[in-house]
Amino acid sequence: MPSGPGREAVAVSSGDDRPFYGAAVVRCPDGQAAAARVRQFGEHFGARVADLYAAMEEELVTLHLVMALDAEGGYVDLTWPVSGEQYPAISEILPAAFVEECEIFEQFGVRPADNKPLNRVAIPPRAEAHFPRLGPAPGHEGRHPRAPHYVAGEAFEFPFGPVRAVAQESLYIGLVTSGEEVIDLYLMQWHKHRGLERRLQGLPPERALFFVERMEGLSAVGNGWAFCRALEGCAGVQVPPPIERVRGIALELERLYNHAAAVAALAQATGLSVGQAQAEIVLEQLLRLNSVVFGHRYLFGVLALGGVHRAPEAGALRELLGSAVDGLRREIEALQSTNSFMDRLEACGIVSPEVAQRLAVVGPVARGSGQNRDARRDHPFGPYLDERVEVATRASGDVLSRLEVVATEAAESARLIGEFCRAGLRAQASSRPVHLPRSASALGWSESSRGESLVSILVDDNELSRVRLRPASVRNWRAFDDAARSRNVFTDVPIIEASFWLTVAGFAR
Amino acid sequence: MTVAGDALQEQAAARQLASAVRKLFGRSLHVRTVDTGSCAVCESELRLLLAPHYDLHRLGLFFTPAPRHADMLLVTGPAVRAMDTALLKTYVAMPDPKIVVAIGACPLGGVYAEDDLIHGRLDQVLPVDVVVPGCPPNPLALLHGLLVAVGRLAERVGDLRFVIEEPGP
Repeated sequence: MPSGPGREAVAVSSGDDRPFYGAAVVRCPDGQAAAARVRQFGEHFGARVADLYAAMEEELVTLHLVMALDAEGGYVDLTWPVSGEQYPAISEILPAAFVEECEIFEQFGVRPADNKPLNRVAIPPRAEAHFPRLGPAPGHEGRHPRAPHYVAGEAFEFPFGPVRAVAQESLYIGLVTSGEEVIDLYLMQWHKHRGLERRLQGLPPERALFFVERMEGLSAVGNGWAFCRALEGCAGVQVPPPIERVRGIALELERLYNHAAAVAALAQATGLSVGQAQAEIVLEQLLRLNSVVFGHRYLFGVLALGGVHRAPEAGALRELLGSAVDGLRREIEALQSTNSFMDRLEACGIVSPEVAQRLAVVGPVARGSGQNRDARRDHPFGPYLDERVEVATRASGDVLSRLEVVATEAAESARLIGEFCRAGLRAQASSRPVHLPRSASALGWSESSRGESLVSILVDDNELSRVRLRPASVRNWRAFDDAARSRNVFTDVPIIEASFWLTVAGFAR
Repeated sequence: MTVAGDALQEQAAARQLASAVRKLFGRSLHVRTVDTGSCAVCESELRLLLAPHYDLHRLGLFFTPAPRHADMLLVTGPAVRAMDTALLKTYVAMPDPKIVVAIGACPLGGVYAEDDLIHGRLDQVLPVDVVVPGCPPNPLALLHGLLVAVGRLAERVGDLRFVIEEPGP
């Protein structure tokens, strides 16, 4: 629990027999009390919005605000029931909560009481009342995101998507421009909504893990581990350190290949074919390394509830990792000594530290904007309890600073893998059955290559009654339009997108 | 499979594919992709087809952003209903003869069940000619799939009629 002024006021209240794992729980009787608590946490503890989600509990929509206290190293789940159709707007206190408020309106029909227009997130336009949702449908639709973008004078909207460049995810980008400069930009991501959170309700945990890995395949381990930790927390399963280290190796390998892929995408976006090809050689090496070490190029199926399904080929890891990491380092150095590359990156796609703070972004996007946060260090778990992660930050918030963060992180990942191997690994696959308790709640987290990933679960009658997935993409797409608007031209947008290296699949899920 | 075995198989598949494409399309077969709700991993593997290890260009295959230039449509994802319009517009814009390849387990119905959000199988929306299973199919499997698809496309070309017969008196 946090210490400092106001400590007495945030003592955990009791009165509900449902135990909560992974976060301190603060229950409030209504929205007013909750808003007061949010102010208190924001002012006294510098709490960061990690997630805001809703669940149906006893026929009532209940909101959960997950706040991260990074300095103290803990999460707080602030929960209160919503009576009626409105609740006090959390985004007026902590603006980062806006995207979740829009999601909650679509899925549960309750909205913040500030009469602000809400954006469309996952439900397509003209969806009917019987459209599958998590709760009751809202009385009216969220606004079309086009509505507020008043286009006058010489500016016009350039529609781009949802079918975009070859082998890119479906995403609609509305570019408002006067010809070259990006005046405004908005995104529509509902084309890829698969209703995963709804699908997971009532599924056996093993089957649910299968879907969580496939929510955002490029962060299968990051998101999957958060889910495993939530389940293991409420089932009281302890995972032995040698197995946690195997998971740590999988997570760092995932980070490495994602960073290599981001560098390749940056080279492609800046039109450097040779640089792109070199980075793709490294990427393919890393994927083949994953395949040799863990049996899957994208590390699906490595995690198991209570353990791991696969034991790593430690010999192959030692043999192949060094050259791949060296290759990535050399490639980034070569790019950094290419003027035509660096010119495109500097002062491009700026996310200022203030914006990063206000929108509570995570991962390399946050660290490139001077936000010194990393769940592996601030909220250590598994092998990171024994091995402190050195977090790299840059202050300028442009594409170049994100590339520098990525470069430093790749080296750190390689070091961590070495340390985990030295500390000893479990040589066989090993998992333990996870029996869900009758009633429990839990929060699980990890740091995927895109940033902090959270999974919250509620268990009722020994079943998963609500699974909330909050991959890093949900947080970080929020900052994308700010980055794109910061005096950029058309051709900067793919560069900014590559430097964010997010997935639409994770946002729309 | 060993790495050496992989490489040999890859070379053999590549040779076959190259000769088929050369013969039928004058080294110029154009491919368009559409994502209907994938997890982004199939896209990653598709992008790698152009990377130096696989390098589709040397075989005379090209990715094209314009459906009007495309001979082949690669579809990933479980056919989310919200993508129906975009997917059908892409398909209709492609000239005949055209071929549809379902990439990965999702469009085969291997991951998501049908409901109001998702068709669950691509063949509910488009006629599927070739399927490439796998989650994700690796680039070598994709190469094999393209080889099969080129064969199918060849049959289509053979069936094309270039003269419109006047109806009899």
